[in-house]
Amino acid sequence: MQIRNFSIIAHIDHGKSTLADRLLQATNAVTDREAKEQLLDSMELERERGITIKASAVTVFHTHNGEQYMLNFIDTPGHVDFGYEVSRALKACEGALLVVDAAQGVEAQTVVNTYLAVAQDVDIMPVLNKIDLPGAQPEEVAMEVEQVLGLPAEDCMLVSAKTGQGIPELLTAICERFPAPRKSLIPEARALIFDAIYDDYRGVVIYIRVFDGTIKVGDKIRMMGLERTHQITELGKYTPKPTKVKQLGAGEAGYLVAAIKTLADVRVGDTITSELNPAAEPLEGYEPPRQMVFCDLYPATTTKKGTDFEDMRDAIEKLSINDASFTSQTVHSEALGFGFRCGFLGLLHMDIVQERLEREFDLEIVQTAPTVSYKVDIRGKGGEITEIEVHNPADLPDMGSVMAIKEPIARVEIMVPKEYIGDIMKLALERRGIYKTQTYVSETRELLTFEIPLAELIFDFYDKLKSTTAGYGTMDYELSEYRQDNLCKVDVLINGEPVEALSLITHRDKSEARGRSLLVRLRKQIPRHQFEIPLQAAIGGKIIARETIKGFRKDVTAKCYGGDVSRKRKLLDKQRKGKDRMKSIGSVSIPQEAFMAVLDVGE
Amino acid sequence: MTADHNNPSPPQGQRPPFPPSAPSGPTAVTGLPVFTSQARTTPEPLAEAFTRSPAPVRSLYIHIPFCAHRCHYCDFYSIVDTRDRAEPFISRLIEELRAQAPAAQGQPLETIFIGGGTPTLLPVPLWDRLLTALDSLYDLSLMRTGMGEWTVECNPETATAELFDRLARGGINRLSMGAQSFNQTLLDKLDRRHNPDNVYRALDLAKQAGIERTSIDLIFAIPGQTLEQWDADIRTALDLGTTHLSAYALTYEPNTPLTARLRRGEFEPAAEDTEVEMFEHAGRVLAGAGLPRYEVSNFAAEGQECRHNLAYWRQDPWLAAGPSASGHLLAPGGLAAGSHRWKNTPRLDTYLDHSHRGFAPVNDHEPPEPPRLIAETLMTGLRLREGVDRTGLLARTEALGLAEALRQAAKEHEDSGMLVVDAGRWVLSDSGLLFADGIASDLMAAVL
Repeated sequence: MQIRNFSIIAHIDHGKSTLADRLLQATNAVTDREAKEQLLDSMELERERGITIKASAVTVFHTHNGEQYMLNFIDTPGHVDFGYEVSRALKACEGALLVVDAAQGVEAQTVVNTYLAVAQDVDIMPVLNKIDLPGAQPEEVAMEVEQVLGLPAEDCMLVSAKTGQGIPELLTAICERFPAPRKSLIPEARALIFDAIYDDYRGVVIYIRVFDGTIKVGDKIRMMGLERTHQITELGKYTPKPTKVKQLGAGEAGYLVAAIKTLADVRVGDTITSELNPAAEPLEGYEPPRQMVFCDLYPATTTKKGTDFEDMRDAIEKLSINDASFTSQTVHSEALGFGFRCGFLGLLHMDIVQERLEREFDLEIVQTAPTVSYKVDIRGKGGEITEIEVHNPADLPDMGSVMAIKEPIARVEIMVPKEYIGDIMKLALERRGIYKTQTYVSETRELLTFEIPLAELIFDFYDKLKSTTAGYGTMDYELSEYRQDNLCKVDVLINGEPVEALSLITHRDKSEARGRSLLVRLRKQIPRHQFEIPLQAAIGGKIIARETIKGFRKDVTAKCYGGDVSRKRKLLDKQRKGKDRMKSIGSVSIPQEAFMAVLDVGE
Repeated sequence: MTADHNNPSPPQGQRPPFPPSAPSGPTAVTGLPVFTSQARTTPEPLAEAFTRSPAPVRSLYIHIPFCAHRCHYCDFYSIVDTRDRAEPFISRLIEELRAQAPAAQGQPLETIFIGGGTPTLLPVPLWDRLLTALDSLYDLSLMRTGMGEWTVECNPETATAELFDRLARGGINRLSMGAQSFNQTLLDKLDRRHNPDNVYRALDLAKQAGIERTSIDLIFAIPGQTLEQWDADIRTALDLGTTHLSAYALTYEPNTPLTARLRRGEFEPAAEDTEVEMFEHAGRVLAGAGLPRYEVSNFAAEGQECRHNLAYWRQDPWLAAGPSASGHLLAPGGLAAGSHRWKNTPRLDTYLDHSHRGFAPVNDHEPPEPPRLIAETLMTGLRLREGVDRTGLLARTEALGLAEALRQAAKEHEDSGMLVVDAGRWVLSDSGLLFADGIASDLMAAVL
């Protein structure tokens, strides 16, 4: 039997999941009756947002030229936040279907995904989808594919996942054009873990791609990286229903269950080998995912602090069980009490986690503005330089000992209609972007490439791009490197007292403007007190901006007669409750909103 | 089997204390009835309270809702009547006064206050009916001897000799004159329809009718008003021989045309510094003239304080009749048991059309809760220069286990010198008085 392993990669909404479903139907893996939209997306949230979060591997069988083909396809997430997952899915494949909407054309994400596939050295087959749409321009889009991605226009397959048009031809091309998996290099078993999920009934389910030898049910296996051993209790394939098999041979993909209780006991990218007859070297793995975006999550209600925090802790623990790519640690904020500092792969990942906490665990959450992870060189007492990672301005040591601050830089691809190029250049430069290239896509569109600090991207850059281009611009990014820049910590002092929760890391050229804008917001959020409150922004000891909240001189209602008693009592009670929710810094009461609004300072 | 066995309603003669038909309206989860602005009923526990007062109620407020015109700063309930509803109103009011009368327990009333609206807009024949009815329903003997205090609010432009004569004969012995200012420009800013001359004339007429006690209402911190203009208003009031003066800082109440105009930026409100300066200036000038401040906004010669308002501020009970009127009745058991507060429907038509054994539809009823009464005592009492009875309050809070919290809350303000302990009382200092709301709210939070 022939085997073909491939992934489907695409820009969001270009029809990746629909195509996957159609392939399942065309190979009779599911009957028409069973077919429901986007079968591979299992989570409610995924279905609602139309995006795929977790990769799934599905095996179907197809007969081509009288020969039986086992097609293993590995669904990938469509967003760059999960680029890591895209890469590891690709690692298990020899081919990738690059789906492009025949009406929309090549988008930024198409470009970034192609880069990922090229980097993994897989064969890419462009598939122009939605050719049934009245606005489809397959010829023009095929030219874009050639122009921008360097893939020959005549290689493009034309399909409509919706109507099924072109699907048989696509199956033929998959069998004919994608290479067969390589033969075993060594007799000992070696399988790559390319994903793992947590299942309430079976514990951890590991997705593997066998490269060498054979793995059987009952085998004692060893994870070469973690050096743990387990006994296989179940092997199988999703067809797409889980179907148990006795063994998985070289070139095959499937799942493995071995009574593993938590995802922490599995490292994606690790190599599985036989405990009794182990391979000498592991397969080439991949870097574990890096959390690049951080924010704090706090229970929204602080009145019954304790219990809300406990509920949140439970929820976060449960969530980490099936999402190993998000990290959390307990933090305490002067303003918001106890909460969690969480690390995410990117902005979308952060949104998804927050939404899942709210939806699946019924929690109300206060989320602080996201920050990125900085690498900071600090000089110790003996003069030695050490590098630490900082993702909260409050954790930054005294600027005196800070030798350098390095920040993550993103390589950003932006696809825009020509008329917006000037605006986008301006936007990118405002965000400390460095222009790299401009690529002709079609008569109407260009692809712009910039290097932009991630910290600048995470503040409403995407919204700005959308509003600047009337919604037509698309973007995607990959992290390229850490780069040193003239970054500094801006401290905020309220009534002379530094408030760590309000400090921020920013470029020195922007520090004064950001400091000022922060103080202006603070001034609006902090109620007047009986005394004057100076607000200051400072770098090191140097004040760079100042605002003042004037003291009020009276707090007494003119009239309070018989009919006013109930009304006034309720009013005072309400005011008092507002005051109780505030945080005292010295003798100044600061409402929670002040901390929140301040964290939103984007410009 | 007779029908009785299946009938859950109690047999005749054993009616439950609160017939299911009486209090309607939605019921909150706490089980307490919730009364909305659409309320057309009187809660039975409140109706009962009028007959179960632990002591005779000695004060009465009557609200006359009619105005010739609504002033732009005013948020009191008043209506410009376009239909002739004054006659049916008086009939309905008398019915309500009759229903409430048992609370006086046959004892003479000590204070009556008739406010509005513009009570003096009511035609004399209707006053006639009202005064006659009051005389028959309540013991007004103290009013006749001058031992009692009976005030009617008076808009200067409505004063007539005939009206004042009738009021004086009925027992009214005090007028509260809504002068607001003696400066025509400032009166125009407030959208008042009278002119300063009306005030002089009205005061003369009162004197001629034999109504000796008058109070003058003034407003300060009017947009554009200078300290000199404010000083002139105070001195004019003093020159007129008034022995009681209310001086209110102009307040921008929600849902008033004045506030809407402020929001539209039609004018600049007075600066806070100016307002404080005027507040303090009034205190100095009036004290010098023998009318010291006895409440945040009220000044009087010794013995001339408004006893009716003092009843409010000292948390005494009072009856209240008329649309939007608010009253206060102690629960059986007295102070320690808390008190009922209620507010009649503000809508004249609802008031006219609905009657619960004579009682008015009630918009808002707060049943007795001892901590609430303590909080209210602090709130209104700290506004008085006499302060509140610290010893008594601590004893009452002790019984509720809240005394320590109250002491703690007070300590912060005692330390800052704004709250002073003096002869068993808590009294706000001069500077503390300007922050009465915040201080009261801190203390109230300790008991609520």
